[in-house]
Amino acid sequence: MPSKPAKVIWLQGITCNGNTHSFLNDPSLGALLESIEFIHHPILPCKKTLKELVKKLPKSDILIFEGAYRADFERAGVKMETLLVTLASKTKHIIALGSCASFGGIFKEASPEHISGILFDKESESGPLQTLRKKVITLSGCPIHPKWLSFVLDMIVQGKKITLDEYRRPKELYGYLVHNGCLRNEYFEWKVDSDHFGTKEGCLYYAQGCQGPFTHGSCNKILWNEVSSKTRAGTPCVGCTEPSYPRTELFSTKTYMSIPAEMPLGIPKRSYLALAGAAKSFHIKRLEGKLIDDNA
Amino acid sequence: MITHELIERIEGEAVLDFRTDKSGTVQEADIRFVHFRGMEAILEGRNALDALVIAPRVCGICGHSHLIAAVRMIENVYIDAGFSLSISPKAHAIREITLECELIQNHIKWLYLVMLHESGKLLGEEANVSLKALYVTSQINQLSALFSGQWPHSSYAIPGGVTCDPTHIEVMQALKILSEVEQFVAKEVLGCPLEKFELHLKSDSHRALEGDFSKLLHQFEKLNLLNTGKSHGRFLVLADNGGSLDNGERSVADVALVSEDSSHTFAHGGKTHAKNALYRGAFYEGGPLARALISERQGISSLYQKYGDCAMTRLSARIDEMVTLIVHVRSLLTSLDLSQPSFTPPSSILSISGSGVGIVEAPRGSLIHRAKIEKGKIVEYSIITPTQWNLGNGTASNLGVAQKAMIGAESIAKASLIFRTFDVCSVCTTH
Ligand code: SF4
Ligand code: SF4
Repeated sequence: MPSKPAKVIWLQGITCNGNTHSFLNDPSLGALLESIEFIHHPILPCKKTLKELVKKLPKSDILIFEGAYRADFERAGVKMETLLVTLASKTKHIIALGSCASFGGIFKEASPEHISGILFDKESESGPLQTLRKKVITLSGCPIHPKWLSFVLDMIVQGKKITLDEYRRPKELYGYLVHNGCLRNEYFEWKVDSDHFGTKEGCLYYAQGCQGPFTHGSCNKILWNEVSSKTRAGTPCVGCTEPSYPRTELFSTKTYMSIPAEMPLGIPKRSYLALAGAAKSFHIKRLEGKLIDDNA
Repeated sequence: MITHELIERIEGEAVLDFRTDKSGTVQEADIRFVHFRGMEAILEGRNALDALVIAPRVCGICGHSHLIAAVRMIENVYIDAGFSLSISPKAHAIREITLECELIQNHIKWLYLVMLHESGKLLGEEANVSLKALYVTSQINQLSALFSGQWPHSSYAIPGGVTCDPTHIEVMQALKILSEVEQFVAKEVLGCPLEKFELHLKSDSHRALEGDFSKLLHQFEKLNLLNTGKSHGRFLVLADNGGSLDNGERSVADVALVSEDSSHTFAHGGKTHAKNALYRGAFYEGGPLARALISERQGISSLYQKYGDCAMTRLSARIDEMVTLIVHVRSLLTSLDLSQPSFTPPSSILSISGSGVGIVEAPRGSLIHRAKIEKGKIVEYSIITPTQWNLGNGTASNLGVAQKAMIGAESIAKASLIFRTFDVCSVCTTH
């Protein structure tokens, strides 16, 4: 472990503060705070207030940027085109935190021509930090899972090699799909859909709009708040880690001849159809009844 | 003298424009919110159910309140359209539990991350990260996530109920977490058992307790602020068993008497994005103090009678609300009937046209979502956030709630601290 804590600046663009509050949920925050030191953070005690920060933009080891980017959006009276770009040029690592910072996210919708992520604008790599792309790590999610951030901070501090995907997301976190580890996998496998919301049984892919089979993220591996996830609570995955977020009609599945229009990632439609036909022909009593049944 | 003060660490930032006299006493204070995101426009044109995902992103600390406001609004559109809707008592109770958890964690964060920090700073104390407070708030959010899947930004409440289908295992886990939270609040925050706190407020002995809350009161005392921060004495609670109170005169609350005033915003040549929220055309205070007085909670009512709506009463109301909510969450958890349905499917949203209002008591006051829906699509959406009530900008003859409370403060720093007793949230205010 390096002797001096890494100097971190946490800067906000157009945001809801969701990533800030999600991060505060990490129960091992105390240990993390021994290896990093916040020069500036929007809520935690830190060395410099925002007002002090913008007076003389300091060097840092890691710059965390939360929220969407708009060139003329101001913090403490300084425009982002100056604030973000200068701080980014004076740091070693940049983390695009949350889907707004990663791809534009929800707030991009308000003004799509002017708002983007810091490196990506939806799928295209055309954000303001293009020339610094090598420094950028994308941590998409709306909000980010607190542990995804603390793992990556730890890995940076300890000099570990971080393998990235095409959107510069760490593969150790985004190599999985939300579908991996979901408790409803068996229902997916045998094509048993959930009749309606509010049950433990059935898969949400066929009618309720679940995007788990084509959304990257460890939500069902590293559980939320240590105990759950959207799909475990019966809520369809809304695809919040992908550049396409937010899509529309989030609580129903678009179908094409009663087959989900979007296939599980990497699965050709033809193969899916063949498999689904076979799976559906079995009527598996265990999966058609209640999981917990008084009369069993 | 005019000073522009940037207020940070409030969920975003605000600018206070102070006019002070020679001695530094505050004569005037204008509140400006400089950011705007356009949430309502983002919602318009979408499927109404998408609001359950988009609306929570108004605010990272009270997103759950926005979820519940949105779902209540959609349910009221169903009713407006002549459809019946059934929501089981279990689903109601679960929504209540997660909503109240959000208020509890908010109040603890406000005490430790904002108030103790800022008042300590004024007294020259060094600030540390309060890991114990963060740990306990992460536990409360975990309790919520047992039902809602995650905090922040869950979308588990939908028209007809909730998406989750908990077992006794989740309920028992929740009760265990709650016991830990109760212990923390008794030992660290209050310095007395939860059930004794109200008595202490009533007998005015709460300042003598030994907990972090009384530490805050002592700091306020040292700063000579306990008795300052008085405002209009007009209070409003719109959700649940709402009511309004105008210097002692009580009436039933009516959302039809709410209006918004944007005459001083950027759009009309002013200097802020925040619109004023008015009731009967006047500024009313919302939030924990209003809720305590309208529901006649004894401890706070007796403090109010003795001291009025000063900083001490306002601070105490937020802590007392946290205590009340913890007790209430326990009773909701222990009386959950898990055999009831979590969700009763309503007609398809695509067949629904009408208007609706959803009101929620959020951490900082009444939150209103209104929308017009045509065949399941949102054609109009409008949100009034809690902070718009307290942090409005009036004129010299008609001051906003926090504005009035700040006038007469001995210094800008003290006025800014009074401002924070309202639990400021910038992201919500200018959604
Ligand atoms: S990514 Fe989501 S949680 Fe993060 S700032 Fe944007 S809307 Fe909020
Ligand atoms: S609910 Fe979603 S994530 Fe879970 S198995 Fe079905 S498709 Fe996969």
